[in-house]
Amino acid sequence: MAGKTKLRIQDLAKIREKTKSLMTIRESEGRARVTVHMGTCGIAAGARDIMDALLEEISKANLQDVIVTTSGCAGLCNAEPMITIELKNQPPVKYGHLTPDKMRKIFVKHILGGQMATDLVLAVGSETVY
Amino acid sequence: MITFRMNGLDVQAEEGSTILDAAKFYGLAIPTLCHHEGLTEFGGCRLCVVEIGEGLRTKLVSSCTYPVEEGLVVRTDSARVWKSRRMMIELMLAMAPGSKVLQDLASKYGVTKVRFTPRNEECVLCGLCTRICAEQMDAKAIGFQQRGHKRKISTPFDMRSEVCRLCGACMYVCPACQLRCQGPQAETALCNGCLTMAPSCLEHYDDLQCWMYDAGRCGTCVQEKKS
Amino acid sequence: MVCAGTGCVSCGSFKIKEALEKEIKAKGLAEEVQVVATGCNGFCERGPIVMVQPDGIFYQLLKLEDVPHLVEEHLLKGRPVKSLMYVPPAEKAPVPKMKDIEFFKHQRLIVLRNRGRIDPEKIEEYIAFDGYEAMGKALSGMTPAEIVDEITFSGLRGRGGAGFPTGKKWAICAKEKASPKYLICNGDEGDPGAFMDRSVLEADPHAVLEGMVIGAKAIGASKGFIYIRHEYPLALKRMEIAIRQARDNGLLGEDILGTGFNFDLEIVQGAGAFVSGEETALIASVEGHIAMPRQRPPYPAHKGLWGHPTVINNVETWATVPNIIRRGSDWFQALGTDTSKGTKIFSLVGKIANTGLVEVPMGITLREIVFGIGGGIPDNRDFKAVQIGGPSGGCLPAKMLDLPVDYESLTAAGAMMGSGGMIVMDDKTCMVDVAKYFLNFLQDESCGKCVSCREGTQRMYEIVKGITEGKGQESDLDLLEELASVCKDASMCALGQTAGNPVLTTLRYFRHEYEAHILDKRCPAGVCKALIRYVVLAEKCTGCQSCKKACPNDCIKGTLKDVHLIDQSRCIKCGACKEACKFEAIEEQREEAIQVI
Repeated sequence: MAGKTKLRIQDLAKIREKTKSLMTIRESEGRARVTVHMGTCGIAAGARDIMDALLEEISKANLQDVIVTTSGCAGLCNAEPMITIELKNQPPVKYGHLTPDKMRKIFVKHILGGQMATDLVLAVGSETVY
Repeated sequence: MITFRMNGLDVQAEEGSTILDAAKFYGLAIPTLCHHEGLTEFGGCRLCVVEIGEGLRTKLVSSCTYPVEEGLVVRTDSARVWKSRRMMIELMLAMAPGSKVLQDLASKYGVTKVRFTPRNEECVLCGLCTRICAEQMDAKAIGFQQRGHKRKISTPFDMRSEVCRLCGACMYVCPACQLRCQGPQAETALCNGCLTMAPSCLEHYDDLQCWMYDAGRCGTCVQEKKS
Repeated sequence: MVCAGTGCVSCGSFKIKEALEKEIKAKGLAEEVQVVATGCNGFCERGPIVMVQPDGIFYQLLKLEDVPHLVEEHLLKGRPVKSLMYVPPAEKAPVPKMKDIEFFKHQRLIVLRNRGRIDPEKIEEYIAFDGYEAMGKALSGMTPAEIVDEITFSGLRGRGGAGFPTGKKWAICAKEKASPKYLICNGDEGDPGAFMDRSVLEADPHAVLEGMVIGAKAIGASKGFIYIRHEYPLALKRMEIAIRQARDNGLLGEDILGTGFNFDLEIVQGAGAFVSGEETALIASVEGHIAMPRQRPPYPAHKGLWGHPTVINNVETWATVPNIIRRGSDWFQALGTDTSKGTKIFSLVGKIANTGLVEVPMGITLREIVFGIGGGIPDNRDFKAVQIGGPSGGCLPAKMLDLPVDYESLTAAGAMMGSGGMIVMDDKTCMVDVAKYFLNFLQDESCGKCVSCREGTQRMYEIVKGITEGKGQESDLDLLEELASVCKDASMCALGQTAGNPVLTTLRYFRHEYEAHILDKRCPAGVCKALIRYVVLAEKCTGCQSCKKACPNDCIKGTLKDVHLIDQSRCIKCGACKEACKFEAIEEQREEAIQVI
């Protein structure tokens, strides 16, 4: 959201709906949403290299429909660097203990191929928000 | 007027006064070190601690900084207070065994052993010198540096002070400098307790560099000359 | 997309590619369908492989004769061909699901609810997950008294360590008539091993902002300060961005959300002292003075920043507030124990399989955290103790593992909830060494005002250090206890008042370790170097001289083929000899049996 707009309470609800639909792969037109977790723990473990590898692969494959975003720490700090991949209509998948090489493998198998790289998967699904 | 209880007596004090003020008024002796009539309270030496509260929820607070409260219950000489006071004296003696003020306190409060290796720092970091310099002399030439075990009192960046007027108020008020004591083993008639304080500048300059010849050990001027 | 990795090529994927292109052209689909060769995806045993995007369909084990049917059915008519699709076999090792993983499934996320799913530098993503809804509700539909009541009923207690009821603190400040009033967020987080606040500030800064605006309405504050320690550059950066974005969108500053309420925030950077986490020291630091605590009363809620009524709360506390306002105090009360409601974030670190941040309901037992969520002790070692509450807390042994985690239980056991640092220790940890570590930290971080704290921590450190070096005496233990208890009693602020805890808890639960160091001159955990002796086992020594060559200090005497001897007076306990020996003839002896040269 660029620029300065003074929001009102009813605007909040509108932004919520709009952003939610942009973020969910279900309704938007993306193929995948990839979150690279970049809290201090992730960065210290090498998340920037993972991000670079990911962006490089996307550019080489000339994909226009992958949403790449970041977030803070995902909680299981000793498994960093971690990413979460969400394909259309599928639950999010977390990968951990990554290296740029593993990232490239996961890119081909999961993002291009649509199949989980099962030997590298940490967990499938989302956490329970109370 | 605030009414409260001290050592079982119902006492009164003006709002805004401290427990120490009230105790003095009623003639109850509470030892102090870093407290001075003309200076703001510091609450660092912890000698003036008293026990407040009742039952299981009592605690020790420094009486020089604690404001009187309606209904407060204060005990100035409980066992817990004496245990703390004695330990404070013991700890300070281990820092500056040459201070007569501290030796006298030790005798008065029954401190008969110092179980720590003396460090002979000649300073108990009570802050009286910094406060008198800032508040009464309006100079602010010296202050605390660092924290924890590295804490010391000095001029900013250990450099020779341009604002120090050599008034000597810091020495006047210092409990470690005021009265020197050779300790309980004086075997000769000559005390020589002050002999440890020799000015260091004459080794490097032809003239005495400051008026503080009594305690010119700080060597600030010497450090400057070297650098 | 046709896989052109070596595996698939050897199965004929290029021929498949040609056939596909031919068939697609023949059916007139060349404009809409593009055939692309890709790199290997690792699924080589199922080649040749074709992936159809954007449908995400994965075809495997293709033969040339399948191609026309595939193109006709899927590409032309839009009906994927099931018989050619990849069907995963019943997994031998099934893919783990989040809801089954011990680390994640026991957690109840309130403060960390946005973890991993939002970009903290995009305010709209915070709004997408109900962000600022609570603020809207509080500003437009609730009176200050109603907000205070809601927080009070929820039972929220300060998450910075002391656990003071937040609603009570707000009520006291709200009653004050002086103006202006201030809010402060304590992001100084100095405990070694604790990083809960850092994580919230980095990953979800808007939660803190929202909480503070709500608090400002409740007590009538017009300005707030977020104090973040200088050692957290990412947190500082993200909070700056968050504040700017909130201001730009009218969610902070003047006339927030058009409700006429004004409140603004400023970031203050810490200067590197642990003691500035103490509230009066923090206030001094914000005012520009040296961070030194002062006597309370008066409490900051009455007279705080610049003498004005001030509410200081921890990062986690502020981040909990919007959730309580949005979901209601009843919802929050449903978690936790009678006296400690809601959840608490712990940073679980040390000798544990799963390290990270865990948000758990109050009342969960230590055993569930360490062995359930934490996954137990790695390398098959035994659990020895868990340190809770940082340098102000204490170490609890195995027999206390069934203790529920809440403010009162932990304090009764001699530890403290603290800010939430939880360090797990195994049997190779020396508890005397742990006490030494924390005392060293405290003697460094004490502000130095109170004799009891400054001298007390230094002298306690000296004594414990001496014990780890084999110089301990029997009288030391009583002296330590006396020092620790006086330090607790006579010091002015919480740093000094809890500085005795590392010593007191380790003495309470691990006295035998101290006694071993002092009386037997040995370290049961094998950590204190001075109490370890390296000894050559005569029956195994072949006289090969490897140890002698490895020794950096010339301690080993012996000629070729003769049993070698280590000179204990020269030995620096580096262990190089033991590593060099190929016959396991050098032993680390911790028993009293010593060979004297």
